Amino acid sequence: MTTCDECGERPATIRYTEMVDGALSTWSLCDECAARRGVTGGLSSLTAPLVNILMGLLGESTDAAARGEDGGGTTCPQCSMSYGEFRAEGRLGCGACYDAFKRELLPLIRRIHGSTEHVGRVPPGLSGDVESRRDLRRMEMDLERAVRQEEYERAAELRDLIRTRREETALSGIEGVDVRDVDD
Amino acid sequence: MIEPASWLAATGPLSDVILSTRVRVARNLDGYPFPNRASDDELSEVRNTLLEAMSGNNYLANAVVIRMEGADDAVRDVLAERHLVSGDFARGGVGRAVVVGENEVASAMVNEEDHLRLQCIRSGLMPTDAWRLVNRIESEMDRNLHYAFSSDWGYLTSCPTNAGTGLRASVLAHLIGLARGGRIGQILSSISKLGLSVRGYYGEGSSALGGFFQVSNQTTLGQTEEDIAYTVERVATQLAGLEGEAREALVERGRRELEDEVHRAFGILTSARLLTAHEVMERCSSLRLGIALELIDGVSLATVNRLLVVTQPGHLAYAHGSGSSEIERDAARADLVRGELTATE
Repeated sequence: MTTCDECGERPATIRYTEMVDGALSTWSLCDECAARRGVTGGLSSLTAPLVNILMGLLGESTDAAARGEDGGGTTCPQCSMSYGEFRAEGRLGCGACYDAFKRELLPLIRRIHGSTEHVGRVPPGLSGDVESRRDLRRMEMDLERAVRQEEYERAAELRDLIRTRREETALSGIEGVDVRDVDD
Repeated sequence: MIEPASWLAATGPLSDVILSTRVRVARNLDGYPFPNRASDDELSEVRNTLLEAMSGNNYLANAVVIRMEGADDAVRDVLAERHLVSGDFARGGVGRAVVVGENEVASAMVNEEDHLRLQCIRSGLMPTDAWRLVNRIESEMDRNLHYAFSSDWGYLTSCPTNAGTGLRASVLAHLIGLARGGRIGQILSSISKLGLSVRGYYGEGSSALGGFFQVSNQTTLGQTEEDIAYTVERVATQLAGLEGEAREALVERGRRELEDEVHRAFGILTSARLLTAHEVMERCSSLRLGIALELIDGVSLATVNRLLVVTQPGHLAYAHGSGSSEIERDAARADLVRGELTATE
């Protein structure tokens, strides 16, 4: 597990990339240090070149981030559980709750498991779909790396590749690359 | 049902330290609310669907199905003491059922916190083997079921702490040497840093009664099932090694005192006319240690493992009726222990 670059003690939960005077630097931070630095999520804290490259992929999640922070009022369309109820009971109401509360659950799941990506068993009927999504995820991680290393040409190629792949497989709803992920 | 389960047989690897390995997966059917949010009708439908899916399973041939609504208290307690159901599940509820395969190797809880909890228990340290068996059972069921599953987060469970693989691999370890040597706190804390959780099996924390601890993986998402099983196997193997060293150190420190303790335990267990559950646990712990260190003959680990289960309150009530007084229960427990230990091994 990566340790926080700031305090050197707590495990890092956020990878934060910033550009100062044309130079990109990446930090692994714990929740507390991230909050102290004002890194609270979304893309607002990232500077222009990075955002420009990623924006085409991240439109949906930036919109979602802009809708509000708390999530207490979000309700699952299938079982009508509210996020507030989940917080009180500690149990979700149905499988669709994971989609309904995705934005709220993402940091929670990352904190619990240190990961947000299932790599284990897949029900037989879904294995093809899951493989193509895992490919896509790998490309997104390559994109993140290319941006970090300032290989903007490669990043642009990858962005186009990802976009095409998404259109082909009609997986437009899935989350874009999140430069704040720490994939330990 | 009252016959000994095969995981008590002390035939698996490292059985002198690791009593058993349990691997379970949590699953939910797509399209139904999780049990905490489901109506009685939905719970019944889920139960019927799952029982139907398990009915032809080659690995659950001759399985016993118990519907918790109709089960009496003693049966519920026996199931919990056999690790076949959780304490909460044992209290019953609409749509809840348990499926128990031959020799209690494979079993399933229906409508606990999740629609399905499928598990295998093996003797000794066998997490990979237990996972493979769970996987084979599940592969046969997959043909007919659609689970709540997300390609990002894997199998979706009522509590997000189980999401992903839904897999919990746990071992029941007898760490009496480490507990007495005073190193247990330090060791348990390093285990928790490896992403595993440790808790006293009987009683709480590092003062666990009899030195029995349960070690299991803490996280279920982001690793493959094989990796989780392997981590538990690797850590438990190291633990067993450390426990072996700690036991040898106990012998070196005072062989005669240890022999005295072991034989005294055997003497009390074979002579006492009243035994509390607490005392049985402590004396059986000494006896297990003595058997592993070859300080005593004529009694097997399997017998002691069995005593640890069948002397618990539910088993006694099942065999002797639940209405008896405390003295009567302690007397029945002492008779049972004496009978088991003096029978021809």
